[in-house]
Amino acid sequence: MELQQQGDPPRAAAEPTGEVVTLREFMASDADAEAFMSWASDPLVALFQRRDAFEHVGQARRYIFDHVLPHPWYRAICVGSGSGSGSGSGAAVVVGSISVKPAPAEADGRLFMASVGYRVARAQWGRGVATRAVRAAAEDVFAAWPWLRRLEAVADVENPASQRVLEKAGFVREGVLRKYIVLKGRPRDMVMFSLVDTDRVAGGR
Amino acid sequence: MNQEQEAPTVTLRPFDLADVDAMMAWASDPVATSFMTWDAYTSRDALLAFIRDTVLPHPWFRAVCLAGDGEVSGEVPVGAVSVTPTDDRCRAELGVVVARAHWGKGVATAALKRTVAAVFADLDGVERVEALVDVDNAASRRALEKAGFQREAVLRSYCVVKGRLRDMVIYSFISTDPLLD
Repeated sequence: MELQQQGDPPRAAAEPTGEVVTLREFMASDADAEAFMSWASDPLVALFQRRDAFEHVGQARRYIFDHVLPHPWYRAICVGSGSGSGSGSGAAVVVGSISVKPAPAEADGRLFMASVGYRVARAQWGRGVATRAVRAAAEDVFAAWPWLRRLEAVADVENPASQRVLEKAGFVREGVLRKYIVLKGRPRDMVMFSLVDTDRVAGGR
Repeated sequence: MNQEQEAPTVTLRPFDLADVDAMMAWASDPVATSFMTWDAYTSRDALLAFIRDTVLPHPWFRAVCLAGDGEVSGEVPVGAVSVTPTDDRCRAELGVVVARAHWGKGVATAALKRTVAAVFADLDGVERVEALVDVDNAASRRALEKAGFQREAVLRSYCVVKGRLRDMVIYSFISTDPLLD
């Protein structure tokens, strides 16, 4: 199950950024590992994740190699124009990541479900970045995987900002699942959200 | 559905290979298995293999028996209940099936009550038992509610049953929930 991260910034939310939000694949590069650390080393971002915050960039490098690159669908969230390689002013900057994991096939071998999770660096919270990334990811995977019928996501009951991201991205709130997932050693209540293929027909949300 | 008579006395015990013929009574019945994700068994050998390979090594799979009045028949299973741990160690999934001859008597409800009273002590780390029920399976939904399960949500397009993608109602019983009766 992919898990969410995002909490409220300490001040009132800023205006949504006018910059473009794009998704691209990660690279096994020092630049991407450094960028990864901007959210992966932040304990506040890691609060609602299974994984503990990273302490040094070597962990990010290894995580990109062992987990991100072989993953069925894992993207860097970029803000600004360009490819997010960090060169030049105004170029796109990598500010987070989003991943979609297909659920294991049923006994008859059929795939139809996947779950989405995302993490954004704290400096970028409150600007609509995660919402746009989730919308873009949903578009991409429903187009890339014709077998996909249900895309789901869970958010901790104590993470209302993440719940709002999913609602604004067009997901339907289905309910609270009690003691659903163990996070940091404790079972947590999670809100379940989903986007099904019939939600996405013309005129749907 | 009929109004139930006084609740039957139900006991749970591990399965044995010798239970295969009793198990065929529900496992081969397309009606009793219509809401199951698995197809009705047509072969006794296939069911025997299922008992040997899945049921006997399973962490929590029980035969549902009606406590008899001393007759041997009281020990013959009339259904099955299983609680299967998931990848999340706090969560396990429940399944229950009862032979059609014993529907409408509260057998499933009684089996569920016995299950939630025992399973949290038996399965280390499990704090949540969940059950997925087809939106159209009113009898199973009632049994879960009478056993004290909480209805949490309708999960849309959640399960493939007999080749069709179905919405499922998810129910849960948490280790701290009150045991009914």
